[in-house]
Amino acid sequence: MEISPDAWVLYEWRGLRLNATIVFTWVVMALLVLLSWIITARLSEGETVSRWQVMLEVVVTTIRDQIDEVGATDPARYLPFIGTLFLFIATSNLLTVVPGYQPPTGSLSTTAALAICVLIAVPLFSIAQRGLGGYLKSYLQPSPFMLPFNIISELSRTLALAVRLYGNVMSGTVIVGILISVAPFFFPVLMQLLGLLTGLIQAYIFAILAMVYIASASRVQRKTEPESDPEHPRTSRQGD
Amino acid sequence: MQIDWLTVAAQIVNFLVLIWLLQRFLYRPITNAMARREARIEERLSDAKARRREAEDEAEDLRKEREELESSRQEMLEEARAEADELRQRLEQDIRDEVEQKRENWQDMLLEERADFARDMQRKAGHKVLDIAARLLAEFTSGALDDQIAQGFVARLKELDKDTRKKMTAAARDADGPALVETATALDTSARRKITRAIHEQFETGIEVEYQEDEEVLLGVRLAVDEQTVEWSAARHLNRLNRELDALLDSASPVRRKETTD
Repeated sequence: MEISPDAWVLYEWRGLRLNATIVFTWVVMALLVLLSWIITARLSEGETVSRWQVMLEVVVTTIRDQIDEVGATDPARYLPFIGTLFLFIATSNLLTVVPGYQPPTGSLSTTAALAICVLIAVPLFSIAQRGLGGYLKSYLQPSPFMLPFNIISELSRTLALAVRLYGNVMSGTVIVGILISVAPFFFPVLMQLLGLLTGLIQAYIFAILAMVYIASASRVQRKTEPESDPEHPRTSRQGD
Repeated sequence: MQIDWLTVAAQIVNFLVLIWLLQRFLYRPITNAMARREARIEERLSDAKARRREAEDEAEDLRKEREELESSRQEMLEEARAEADELRQRLEQDIRDEVEQKRENWQDMLLEERADFARDMQRKAGHKVLDIAARLLAEFTSGALDDQIAQGFVARLKELDKDTRKKMTAAARDADGPALVETATALDTSARRKITRAIHEQFETGIEVEYQEDEEVLLGVRLAVDEQTVEWSAARHLNRLNRELDALLDSASPVRRKETTD
């Protein structure tokens, strides 16, 4: 039984293998981009707004609110990164209801790639906010003695991110596979539904954790600075 | 279950490309659209607030203006009412005066009429009394009184004042016709003789004397020589009484009229 879509090679050319992970990633990407493009091509700024636009606005606003709740100073800055993480993982997981589809997030290569992106994004955002010196100093907090532990924590949480997502999605696929062989009529459907739920939750967890890491890396500096804006105004659309 | 590092690298690239694409097609347009809409709504709200404030100010102004108008209207109404009252009182007073004036005029007229009527009555009564007296004299003086009348006439003729006597004497002397003696009733012969003799004696002439009857003489004698006339009769007295009565009534009425107007 194939567990990872990495092993499902669709095309091979001079040692370069095009596996299912990459192909389904492309499918998900194409779906997201096309949907966004079609809807945003006819954006309305007046009173009458199409349902699709409302849907996208709700998605974007919710993500922004979530980022804001974690405590980031400028949600618009993290929106592309965190939002794309969530949308990509959620779409990848939700598409499992389509027969023949293999979620790319079920591949450790994909989750590792996303975790590496987070691993790189955290110091990047932190340096952009505080400068290189400020970022490096955070490894010596609260005392220089903690430097090795800080480095280990940085690496371990990346590993944890990758394995958590991979394990959850992969397990869902495996469980369905096993149940089909044991009780092929009723239980797989239930498990599939449960898989949709866990897939969505995993997308949420992954995005929120990434945001928490980034925010915590930036928060050290916020403590040292005079709190100019402790209650950052939420940019929700409640007032509209 | 192992990591294919080539796939990992490809997925990182894919992910970065996806971030860029979604930023290009999703986040930026949506965020911009929402921001613009929010700005527009904000603008409209502030605009509406400003307009509302403007409208409220205007309403306040209008309210004040209306109150002022109302108060001024009330004042004008009061003024007009007072004026109308004054005018009414004045007109009433005028009418009252006019009526009073008319009443007085009417009263005057009434009094005047009454006075005229009274005067007329008095006049008529006087004349009536005199008429009755004349009639009585006429009825009771026939015959018996001839001699006395003759004697009275002779006595009066003798007492004639100088002027009259001279005129009468001249008239008797120059007269063409006879002297005319008029009495109410025909005198008897002796009485006629006495009168003729007295005339001849007094005027020193032998003028012819002619006797005639005239009822108007009543009691007494009228002597006419040429154009000169002397008369001693009740009719003359009565005529004088009538004239005096008229004069008295005429002189009394203006005084009384004057008294009523005062």
